[in-house]
Amino acid sequence: MLTKLTGGTLYDPANAIEGKVRDIYIRDGRIVSTPPASEPVHRSYALDGKIVMAGAIDLHTHIGGGKVNIARTMLPEDHREHVRRSTTLTRSGSGHATPSTLAAGYRYAEMGYTSCFEPAILPVNARQAHMEMADTPMIDTGGYAMLGNDDLLLEMIAEGAEQETINDYVAWTLHATQCIGIKVVNPGGINAFKFNARELDVDDLHPHYRISPRKILRTLSLALNNLGVPHPLHVHASNLGVPGNFHSTLSTMDAAEGLPIHLTHVQFHSYGAEGDRKFSSSAAEIAEAVNRHPNISIDVGQIMFGQTVTVSGDTMRQYANHGHAHPNKWTCMDIECDAGCGVVPFRYRDKNFVNALQWAIGLELFLMIDDPWRVFLTTDHPNGAPFTSYPHLIRLLMDRSFRNDLLSQINPDAAASSHLSTLDRVYSLYEIAIMTRAAPARILGLTDRGHLAPGAIADIAVYHQADNPERMFQQPMLVFKQGEVVVEEGRITRPINGTTQVVRPDYDPGIEKRLGDWFEQYHSIKLQNFRISDDEMAAGIGSAVTIHPCRGRN
Amino acid sequence: MWHNKIGNITNAVTCPGCGLSCDDLQLEVSDGQLVSLEKGCTLARSFFDTALTPHDHNPMIDGSRTSLDDAIAQSAELLRKAHAPLFAGLVTDVNGMRGTLEVADHCGAILDHCNGDGLFRNIRVLQDNGWFATTFTEVRNRADLMIVVGNQCFDRFPRLIERVLNPEHSLFSSASERKLILLGPWDNGSLPTDIEAMACTVIPVEHRQLSDAAGVLRGLVSGRPVNMQAFGDKTGDQLVELATQLKTAKYSVIAWSATELDFPHAELTIQCLVDLIKDLNLTTRSAALPLAGTLADVTSNQVCTWQLGYPLRTRLQRSYPEHDPLINRYQTLIAQKETDLLMWISSLSPQVVPPVTDSPTIVLGHPGMTFENDPDVYIPVGVPGVDHPGHWYRSDAVCPMPLGRLRESDLPAVSQIMMLLNNKLLQATGE
Ligand code: SF4
Ligand SMILES: [Zn+2]
Repeated sequence: MLTKLTGGTLYDPANAIEGKVRDIYIRDGRIVSTPPASEPVHRSYALDGKIVMAGAIDLHTHIGGGKVNIARTMLPEDHREHVRRSTTLTRSGSGHATPSTLAAGYRYAEMGYTSCFEPAILPVNARQAHMEMADTPMIDTGGYAMLGNDDLLLEMIAEGAEQETINDYVAWTLHATQCIGIKVVNPGGINAFKFNARELDVDDLHPHYRISPRKILRTLSLALNNLGVPHPLHVHASNLGVPGNFHSTLSTMDAAEGLPIHLTHVQFHSYGAEGDRKFSSSAAEIAEAVNRHPNISIDVGQIMFGQTVTVSGDTMRQYANHGHAHPNKWTCMDIECDAGCGVVPFRYRDKNFVNALQWAIGLELFLMIDDPWRVFLTTDHPNGAPFTSYPHLIRLLMDRSFRNDLLSQINPDAAASSHLSTLDRVYSLYEIAIMTRAAPARILGLTDRGHLAPGAIADIAVYHQADNPERMFQQPMLVFKQGEVVVEEGRITRPINGTTQVVRPDYDPGIEKRLGDWFEQYHSIKLQNFRISDDEMAAGIGSAVTIHPCRGRN
Repeated sequence: MWHNKIGNITNAVTCPGCGLSCDDLQLEVSDGQLVSLEKGCTLARSFFDTALTPHDHNPMIDGSRTSLDDAIAQSAELLRKAHAPLFAGLVTDVNGMRGTLEVADHCGAILDHCNGDGLFRNIRVLQDNGWFATTFTEVRNRADLMIVVGNQCFDRFPRLIERVLNPEHSLFSSASERKLILLGPWDNGSLPTDIEAMACTVIPVEHRQLSDAAGVLRGLVSGRPVNMQAFGDKTGDQLVELATQLKTAKYSVIAWSATELDFPHAELTIQCLVDLIKDLNLTTRSAALPLAGTLADVTSNQVCTWQLGYPLRTRLQRSYPEHDPLINRYQTLIAQKETDLLMWISSLSPQVVPPVTDSPTIVLGHPGMTFENDPDVYIPVGVPGVDHPGHWYRSDAVCPMPLGRLRESDLPAVSQIMMLLNNKLLQATGE
């Protein structure tokens, strides 16, 4: 069956198409090149005057896994105020900061998103993360497995294991957890907290293993590079939220020694300690360093004012921040010599100096980092704000007077100590398409999406033109998933389920001997039961895998 | 392992006999019968023996044998007529619960687990305050001081000592460093034998004194004046010493089974224990080990939480989820006649039978179940981990364990029944 989208205005940065009127043809769920005129078109959509982009990709959003479910449990108030009724097509749900899985999937699709990635999968919790994502309809999903706080890896590094051995372990982990990338969270710090350390900077030594976060970062980024995994090491740096932490962030960039790394929610890692309140913006220093290091990409983790909840694998920092909990309740967990998690509800207030400055710092980063291919639009859902605030965030980037209006309403001292009012830059639609489509696809190694050329999956969002980008991005006219219309005028018209995106780097299966022995002695789960098979993904967990290529081992 | 293929001898089998979910069992099954079982405890043996005993697999309507089609049709008919259906028991695997929630959404049902009372003693603490918890592998490798609260944990979780509290190997805590404190209504004669290998101290306190004991420990730990009057001199001295041990321990753990703490306002006792743990973390490390998961309470609650946004005790009558941990308790709903249909789901144990009610009752039950009063519909279902593969949650709510399939069986999984029911209901409404 051939489908034709006629007359839309395309923003397709991967193919350097900026605001050109082009037709799109779709067959069997994929975009195809212009067929011979003799071939009948079965369905066509007149899109004159409409904006057409690939489906959006969120490369960092906490949508599934144990800590999200703890947050849901802890916040009945968030759910009471935000319910979603069932319809003849869709299931019911609830929640704003931590929506139920079905509600999250529907809402993402209603905003034109077609692929989302859970960035913090504890290997031991991978089954749950995939189950939750399998129950998140409408979108394709994937995840990054957390390493770098597991006793097994730290022991290997401390014992001076060969890089090859570590590469095998990293590759094995990607297979066993059905993930597409590796994330390190506060390298070594979550583990050090289990030994009662309360801080661990990039060059501090771990109290037990006597290795530094720098060493862990270097080892893991090298492993991914050697294995040819497309997505670089996804790094949640040391000292999240600590005034003056921009030094740690710069050291983290340095630790990569030129290898590609992705620094996540950098807003939380761009703080100086200047001024009366010993809290200041170091966004300029960070942006300058990002601009200078082509191996670095970042996502921002913008905050928005209002109630949300912070969920993180960083037990050390979440514990340290529990005094800020609002409402006053919090949970932390040490998990299986694997990692941990912390859940701390939080309310960002525009009149609060620190919160207001956090808001400004995020925007400064967006506006001071030159290359939109290396900065991604995130709120670190739900840590900075729920993902539903993306359209508002896009408006902040595209509309300077709107931004300055809001700037004039925040805590005046924070506004005064920020560079924001002097930043004239506004993002174009083309740049928004880069940071929400083309660039995330590229950094994840997904060649089949994030663009509109023949061969791509026909995941497409069509928007009405509007002066207000917030309105435009809130409610697309049409969303296609695999060539089928699934959303019309912001409403689900066809519920569907996606697949799980994974990579499969080669490794020496001999590594299972060493891992198996360790599991046997120290773990409470056997290696055989830890690993998730493809059959289990498809028939048990409910989301079949889609395998994306690696570059090959070097 | 999650597997659909059947081999005669199976290694690394996950046991759904209790929330410990030991995954090292070795089973030999031949012709659908249990030939041998290694590593499992007596609870595990009785679980697999019962599940692998031949039973009548025929669905029943009003006690008479019928076809599956008719049983589904009759159930759908009853569900369609009901205004306030209650789906309870909920002893099933992840996919069984997924199916249950889909039908519940469709019918506007209320959801509660047969162990809801125990489950919610913990959940209410999590909802109101949160906690600081840990998991089995951490305890195996890090704990140097372990307090087990109450006196039933070793009966409820028979391999607790071997698998968690005193393992053969440990990364950071040697057997000689590990201290075990039993804080509960113990008399010395009744200690389990495998405790003998450990340095163990009994501090005898009644269940209802536990919150006082936790309060005293909190006071002592933070150097505040405490009132020891509730305790005798000897117990008082022991608590003073325990407070010192807690402060100097590198990684202390407090374990309890909320199901055991069956007295009014037991959630406040759990709250006191959690507060003590949170205080200890100001200077050293300490964590809670809430023992749960038996009869899939954690499993059905987890799935409910991610799909609806709320834990169990949630109702869908108004086409969106509404949660209330007190109002939506199944026993109360039945007693106050606030439900007009009961669907009882219980696939792991024939003993977990539906409560007495005047309302029409549909049972999706273990094939070995017998009834005093025949339910309107009884559909025997497969046992997860025996008749079909699946997933269920261990105690900690972090590790969903894979369940394999051990024998050929014509027993449908709860998830299959739910799919049939849903299709039937959709047909009836012409969607
Ligand atoms: S302790 Fe529990 S999980 Fe382990 S074998 Fe016994 S019944 Fe099964
Ligand atoms: Zn994050």
